[in-house]
Amino acid sequence: MNKVNVNKVDVDRADVKEISPNELNELKEIANTLRKDIITMIYQAGDGHPAPSLSVTDILAALYFRVMNIDPLNPDWPERDRLILSKGHACPAMYAALARKGYFPLSELPKLRTLHSILQGHPDMKKTPGVDFTTGSLGNGISIGLGMALAGKLKGYNYYTYVITGDGELEEGIIWEALMAAKRYETGNLIVFVDNNGMQSGGKVEDVSGLYPIIPKWEAFGWHCQSIDGHDIEQILHAVECARAEKDRPSVIVAKTVKGKGIPFMENNNSWHKGAPTREQWEEAMAALGGVK
Amino acid sequence: MKQQSTRVAFIEKLTELADENPNVVLVCSDSTKVVKADQFIEKYPERVFDMGISEQSAVACAAGLASCGLMPFVATYAGFITMRACEQVRTFVAYPGLNVKFVGANGGIAGGEREGVTHQFFEDLGIMRTIPGITVVVPADASQVSMAVRAVSEINGPAYIRIGSGRDPVVFEDYIPFELGKIRILKEAGTDVAVFTNGYPINRTIEACNILEKKGIKPIIVEVHTLKPLDIEGIAAILEKTGAAVTVEDHNIIGGLGSAIAEVIAEHKPVPLVRVGLRDVFPESGEAEMLLDEYGIGVSDIVNAVETVLRKKERERWNK
Repeated sequence: MNKVNVNKVDVDRADVKEISPNELNELKEIANTLRKDIITMIYQAGDGHPAPSLSVTDILAALYFRVMNIDPLNPDWPERDRLILSKGHACPAMYAALARKGYFPLSELPKLRTLHSILQGHPDMKKTPGVDFTTGSLGNGISIGLGMALAGKLKGYNYYTYVITGDGELEEGIIWEALMAAKRYETGNLIVFVDNNGMQSGGKVEDVSGLYPIIPKWEAFGWHCQSIDGHDIEQILHAVECARAEKDRPSVIVAKTVKGKGIPFMENNNSWHKGAPTREQWEEAMAALGGVK
Repeated sequence: MKQQSTRVAFIEKLTELADENPNVVLVCSDSTKVVKADQFIEKYPERVFDMGISEQSAVACAAGLASCGLMPFVATYAGFITMRACEQVRTFVAYPGLNVKFVGANGGIAGGEREGVTHQFFEDLGIMRTIPGITVVVPADASQVSMAVRAVSEINGPAYIRIGSGRDPVVFEDYIPFELGKIRILKEAGTDVAVFTNGYPINRTIEACNILEKKGIKPIIVEVHTLKPLDIEGIAAILEKTGAAVTVEDHNIIGGLGSAIAEVIAEHKPVPLVRVGLRDVFPESGEAEMLLDEYGIGVSDIVNAVETVLRKKERERWNK
């Protein structure tokens, strides 16, 4: 597969409710291609976070290739939708999506994390076309997205700001600061995904912290809340549609995911939070991604 | 002592900037009263974003606003910007070079005065100075705050302006020009010693130098209102003339003006230096003027510092 949907700006926004089986299959195929890109990029670079990238891949595929109103030839277009990958360490997934979308050549991907590369170890808005905001230090994406959402309202633009956080990331206090402010400012144009893969660097979320349950906390903060399977693209698209229908309050979509999704030996294996596969492991991973699921 | 509020001066100028530029917005963290924001709020309610008592989120939010073309001024207590939200300032504003301006109240021990250590901020300049790409300004008084606010609005990128308690001594009787990044000679009695200063202690520096002149010592008083970018050339030229330097600041002697001048001295013109400032201790509650006297930033401390540095200068001359 090569670039997808390059230069296609859907002014009226995708009507995700009426997605055809073919279109759905195409999105699944894109997600699979992104997974191959991720694992290959990290293998070639010799460093990166494979499992956290794989858990968020389907959400990114749905957003970049179906939902978002963006123009790869005009990455700074003021009225574009924005996406902040608050869990910035999952950037290989974002880089793969941006390259496939046509923001920069696929040949950049193997240069991940190397000197003079446009692809930093964590996303850098000044170096990488299509990266709407610099991230990597956890917890900050919702506050930044709130700023974008408020700017959109002030300027009279209709764009949406999407933020993707991890679950462990929600342990940061700034998250809850942002939730209170977003409620007060009724930012219906702010939509947050939680990549709920259940693991963080040090182990299972439930073992590291008292974070769970997520949804009741978020509901108490006055947000519109949904819970979905984060690997079911139809569910992702439907949830976005419901979130957009909420005009006067921000939305969160808690997406249950599998860390390392798509590569059996990485699934739910936290030793793949960070690290590069060997040649043999890369071959095994590519074989596992061989067909469309 | 004639006083004029640096906080009021800030908000008046900001309102004026907002009249001219629709992208100017105010971001607070339950600090609208601190920075006397009423007139701004009344005129531009839709351009005030109060994040509540959450400085980290306020700074990150301002970064998001700036990424969409707005020019946010984040205004609250100096320490809550530079310490509590330090990482957000560094990683999400300075690193992407976003056009966010920070205005920090209660700068220095005089700025926090009766509030005590939790609200006295004497590390702010050192912290901001170590972050790449931030313009750091310590205006002398209210009129200079006005000028500095306009000056930083004319550059594209992050800036930090230190303001005070609202009970701030007047230094300049008139609105004299403010040139970002340039030192200003306040008085040149001679070339015996250079006394570098900024902010609140300027008046007492001038008073100390008057005493010194009566003793036959002829100092040159230099205001360094822009700590970054530092006017290295201007400072080195003064050091060349005087061969001795004293710094006077309301800040820890580590990290602020004293350190900045020491760096220029070490790299460009080695001369004896004595630093006057908070001597790396925690102060306490008290009235501003009394606090400065108590914690080593008194007129007599400045006089002593100059006399000490001149003895060093003399000794070095003999050693040569």
